[in-house]
Amino acid sequence: MFFKLAISIKNINVKGLFIVWERLGGEGKMSCHTEKKTKVSEKSQLKVLLMGNPNVGKSVIFSKLTGMNVIASNYTGTTVSYTKGEITIRDSKGTLIDVPGIYSLKTTSPAEEVAVNMLENENADAIICVIDATNLERNLYLALQLKKKNIPLVFAINLNDVAIKQGIQIDIDALEKELSAPVVSTVAIRNKGLRQLLDKVLEVTGINTSNSYEDESSDDELWKRAGDIARNVQSIRQSEPTFLEKMGDATLKPFPGIPIGFLVIALLLGVVVGGGKGIRGGLLLPLLNNYYVPFVEGIVSRFVSEGLLYNVLVGEYGVLIKGIEWPFALVLPYVFLFYVSLSFLEDSGYLPRLGVLVDGILKKVGLNGGNVIPIIMGYGCAVPAILGTRAATSKKERIIVASVVSLSVPCVAQTGAFISLLGEQSVITLIAVYLISFFGMLSGGLIINKIIPGKTDPILLEIPNLLMPDIKSLIKKITIRTKHFMVEAEIPMVLAIAFAALVVETGALDWAARFIEPFVGGWLGLPKEATLGLILGILRRELAVLPLLDLDLSTIQLLVASVVSLFYLPCLSVVAVLIKEFGLKIALTISIFTLVTAFLAGGMINQLANIISLFL
Amino acid sequence: MNTVLSNIKKSTDCIIEKLPAIGLLNSLGLRKGTMISSMTIQPFGGPVVIRIGRRSVALSRDIAEKIEVRQVG
Repeated sequence: MFFKLAISIKNINVKGLFIVWERLGGEGKMSCHTEKKTKVSEKSQLKVLLMGNPNVGKSVIFSKLTGMNVIASNYTGTTVSYTKGEITIRDSKGTLIDVPGIYSLKTTSPAEEVAVNMLENENADAIICVIDATNLERNLYLALQLKKKNIPLVFAINLNDVAIKQGIQIDIDALEKELSAPVVSTVAIRNKGLRQLLDKVLEVTGINTSNSYEDESSDDELWKRAGDIARNVQSIRQSEPTFLEKMGDATLKPFPGIPIGFLVIALLLGVVVGGGKGIRGGLLLPLLNNYYVPFVEGIVSRFVSEGLLYNVLVGEYGVLIKGIEWPFALVLPYVFLFYVSLSFLEDSGYLPRLGVLVDGILKKVGLNGGNVIPIIMGYGCAVPAILGTRAATSKKERIIVASVVSLSVPCVAQTGAFISLLGEQSVITLIAVYLISFFGMLSGGLIINKIIPGKTDPILLEIPNLLMPDIKSLIKKITIRTKHFMVEAEIPMVLAIAFAALVVETGALDWAARFIEPFVGGWLGLPKEATLGLILGILRRELAVLPLLDLDLSTIQLLVASVVSLFYLPCLSVVAVLIKEFGLKIALTISIFTLVTAFLAGGMINQLANIISLFL
Repeated sequence: MNTVLSNIKKSTDCIIEKLPAIGLLNSLGLRKGTMISSMTIQPFGGPVVIRIGRRSVALSRDIAEKIEVRQVG
């Protein structure tokens, strides 16, 4: 079990601060526990690589075979690093490695380099080459390239159910002959064909393939052969396009694609903001205030007399009260509903379509449509968003997306906090904050695009099939992400609240506030308690906002405080990821950039409001 | 008649005659002689979406301008 935990460090989807630091210190090496284990496996266990074109279902196969949960989505570039997991074939144990998808052995992005390096350096005993049945010819081209490597191969013809629905029939036996290697038809998401796939792996690993296949064919010859094989083994029945195929095309056209895009975003907002407010106000807050708070206060007052300790536990910033209220009642509903919506969109294959529609606009700020995916992920959490940029082909793009997400995209926890702060008092301020966020994204992108030399690669993006998400996989994905938030948020949140309680109750805040009063009070026009948000906000983004609750701020103060916390330093985990991905210098530059923007924007709004009020 | 991909009206079939040396184009299956059809052209200088085989690929207009094609049918 510990082995499984430790290896998941390699997995991009695990984004804890602890893990990030561990990787920083270890130069990407695995922890000592894992190393021992892999050394053993190098000698006696089978090592199997999962390879194939992007978005053919490798990560789904990996999750099903190893029981480990890696995030799989319906677009290219979900997997940007490798994950190792343990498999059992009959009685023997082996290691399965999920690697990023590639179109050919010539790499174009950091994620693809990982895949080709694994192929060259891992000395795998076998490769499972996953092939998308709905796109046979192009997938066969990579298959033929892999064959040249003389490593035993087994082919999985995945997504065969979708192919059959589209009228494509593949003759598995004929394909087996053409490729002179085992071919298994699979529907990974429903666990079909996977056991057979492993059996075949065991069969081929004994076979000595060295020198059995001398191949000097050129690229053109490989393409020709891929085309010939595809024609020989598949029969396509020209049928009326399915509903999803029609929808897939419609969502790509400016009309009705753009109206549909607005509808999707409106729906997303409705579900997250409306639904979140409903769960919070209708269920969680009443539960908390009517049952939990009286209960806890009752217990504490029995053992602790009024005073410092009492206040730290259940006072204004009481750990036992706010430590539950903030993460679970105020933030969790939004986190949960955001991940429900995001996971659905990811698995449907809609996001790249949205990218195509907005590419023209993004081009003006040095980005391309493909970058929409990490930016949308950033509305959940910036850590996977920044790691996700590894699928981008130029470093410039990666830095722009990372900066823009760090600067101006509020994570879902912060969104929850904003809604709690502004939703009741001033919906207009809430909308204003998101408009400013959007404006900040565009102008931030524009500026960085000008500063950083080089150019962004133009969009060149494969559009996946539009699919109906599989409910079981969806539930699993939402559970992983929500659970991850709860684990990740709770400890820093409790520590931060304890710190806040101590600072307030001991009077340390009053002492510190004297020094920063000219800045916080004068320039930003905020009360001294806002300092708390600025201190805690270094830890997590939502903590820059939550201490402002119950302060009775004016509308202008609310706007200023929200804008400062929006642009303020990205949280500690994000800074760590920035260092890991781009180095200390760039990470520091981005952090300072966000800090300066925050105080500049917030202060300017306050000063402007002061001037205007003189004339009113 | 030869023209460039960005000038093709939507839903017309064409065959690629000449294309720039971008590795990813090749890997996505766009090669000399490949039959493709144009699906849509996005507004605001956005990409051209083409259909190759049964799959759609979005190509920036800069790239599409460099792909010479011959219309068929």
